[in-house]
Amino acid sequence: MMLFNIFHRPGAGAHYDIYRQQQELAHQLGLKTTIFLYYSDLFDPRAIADAIRDRDTYGDEISLALHNLTGPGITEISNGQIALWLLDRERKEQILARMIGKFAEVFGANPTSIGSYHLDSSCLEILRRLAPEARTVIGGCFEEGVRVFHGCNHSWYLFNEGMPWNPWYPSKTHGLRPARDEEDASGVVAVPHLVRDMSLAFEGRNDFWASHPPNVIRGMGNDATFCPYDLNLVDQYRMQAEWNGGYSYYNTFVSPSWLDWNHNSEYPPEVAWELYRKFLTYMASLKKDGQLEDLTLSAYGERHRQIRPVGHDEVYLAKELLYGSGKHYFWFVDPAYRVTIDATQGGSIGDLRPYAGQAPVATGPDTPHRDIGSYPYLIQSQHRAGNAHHCYDGARTTLLIKHGEQTLDLCNFRAKVASVARADGKVKIALTPVRFSFSDGVSGDLTTRYEFGNGTITVCRELSGLPAQADLELIEYFKGAPGRTEYPEDLHGIVLEANGSSPVHRDFDYSGQWSEAPGATEVAALIPHVRTRLSLQSGSAVSGRVHAGHLFSPYFTLQLAHRLIGNGTTCTCLNLTSIAA
Amino acid sequence: MSESNLYRSLMRCPVCFSRDTDVLMINTGNEFHYCPKCSFQGMESEIRGMYRDIQKKFHNMGKRFTLEDQRAL
Repeated sequence: MMLFNIFHRPGAGAHYDIYRQQQELAHQLGLKTTIFLYYSDLFDPRAIADAIRDRDTYGDEISLALHNLTGPGITEISNGQIALWLLDRERKEQILARMIGKFAEVFGANPTSIGSYHLDSSCLEILRRLAPEARTVIGGCFEEGVRVFHGCNHSWYLFNEGMPWNPWYPSKTHGLRPARDEEDASGVVAVPHLVRDMSLAFEGRNDFWASHPPNVIRGMGNDATFCPYDLNLVDQYRMQAEWNGGYSYYNTFVSPSWLDWNHNSEYPPEVAWELYRKFLTYMASLKKDGQLEDLTLSAYGERHRQIRPVGHDEVYLAKELLYGSGKHYFWFVDPAYRVTIDATQGGSIGDLRPYAGQAPVATGPDTPHRDIGSYPYLIQSQHRAGNAHHCYDGARTTLLIKHGEQTLDLCNFRAKVASVARADGKVKIALTPVRFSFSDGVSGDLTTRYEFGNGTITVCRELSGLPAQADLELIEYFKGAPGRTEYPEDLHGIVLEANGSSPVHRDFDYSGQWSEAPGATEVAALIPHVRTRLSLQSGSAVSGRVHAGHLFSPYFTLQLAHRLIGNGTTCTCLNLTSIAA
Repeated sequence: MSESNLYRSLMRCPVCFSRDTDVLMINTGNEFHYCPKCSFQGMESEIRGMYRDIQKKFHNMGKRFTLEDQRAL
């Protein structure tokens, strides 16, 4: 079953008529909407009367949108800042108090839901105090971070990365981190502003590839009014129900300006309208077939509380739809981490967010984070190079397979996700086998299996088809760095460790030096930036190495080696544990 | 829909767009546009042709993949 939210908001001038046509279209199709009114709309009798009529006639919800901080008593506080989360705490509170107070004055009660492009931890705390009735929010734009910053020069700046792609319970200390338990939870259910293509949102402009037909026009993914991609993305989300308790989630939020001539399209408005109509018509047909339920935002929040306990995990199997690349990505999120497996790079980790450390972030000029509300990464292979292509590699994991003088890098072997399953309280995936050969003729097949959950990622490598005497070294490899953007951060303070016959404990010093650890069964990095200890651990490992990269390659690297004669399987745990701040 | 909308006659630079950057070109009024960010300039017909070139990478742009199709992808 797909649970579906439609969000609409009034526009100014001629765009008000477009908003009304959007509402009319949804209602003709028998779909409910949630109407987001800006503060300035709360002074417009027509907008208020129309919203009340739609609520009373069609069951729509009237909600409060926090963006565009203009209107009586607010313009002079915001001073041109349009994003609430980028103000200091005092101004956030002043503006929220005015907005919520005006909403209550107009409608006789506080809003039950709130919409924002991002809600940092201080906004959430203030919101919960001023309007405890607002139990559901639009809490962030998935991965609209530095890629969108680069892609939208002169227009769009939102450092908002490292959040769940589907609805979540924001924690008290970071609005993008899913809460561990009720005590850690901020008290709201958050949904993303649009849902995104989990392949192309990772690789590039995720605003193009989302549940927003005119945005797909912006990305040039359509041929006039022919755009099967819009419905393909819906069906890819429907597919996720198979691994997520039978439910999937989708929403759309098309503002009136996108259905007029606008700066993001060279087509006349009729094209955007036709694609929006086709999209909603498809959703209505799914509803008619019993495959979809349309809800208001608040109703979704209450449903979420019934079907997803705090602390739940979520998976997404992404199959690239537009280029025809055949690429698979696998995503897993729970309160300990969010991870992306890049099957096309042999199953390496392409993105890793260590939620286990519960790094606190609030945004605003009165915080050290200023505008960057991201949850920091330890691996982000798009921003930080990933697999080597012309020089050093960057942040990534891989398996190095050594035989004689030759080393193969699993990142250079393409695989797919062959299976996804839930068992023993964990999520388990298997990749398709890859065939490898060495120059002396030794060859074999390697199958990678992952298990996710409880703060650990277990990776097993099963080798088959090898000659009985083939002597191989299998090296699990982790190269990472704490970061938030494409640029490196100061890595001083990281400590590298290994056990074994000559234990290692050294400060990260940009020396470019390796430290060998014969007999090691664990190698680790303590990373105070993210309050996390990351370790690779395997009882059957024979040695380890740790490396402090120099300034031209500013990463720490951990290696843990196994020796294998002939066929066999190795298993290694990547553990993420919290350390004191 | 507003017929007098400014954006009726504006186009995005196809060179910048191929780098994933949206930049509105300046329309000199005779179907000739130039980019304020890079050195590209051209006529509307040429620009539309370049948009088509950009789309060539989307090999599956015209294909519908149903739920069942996607399970098999």
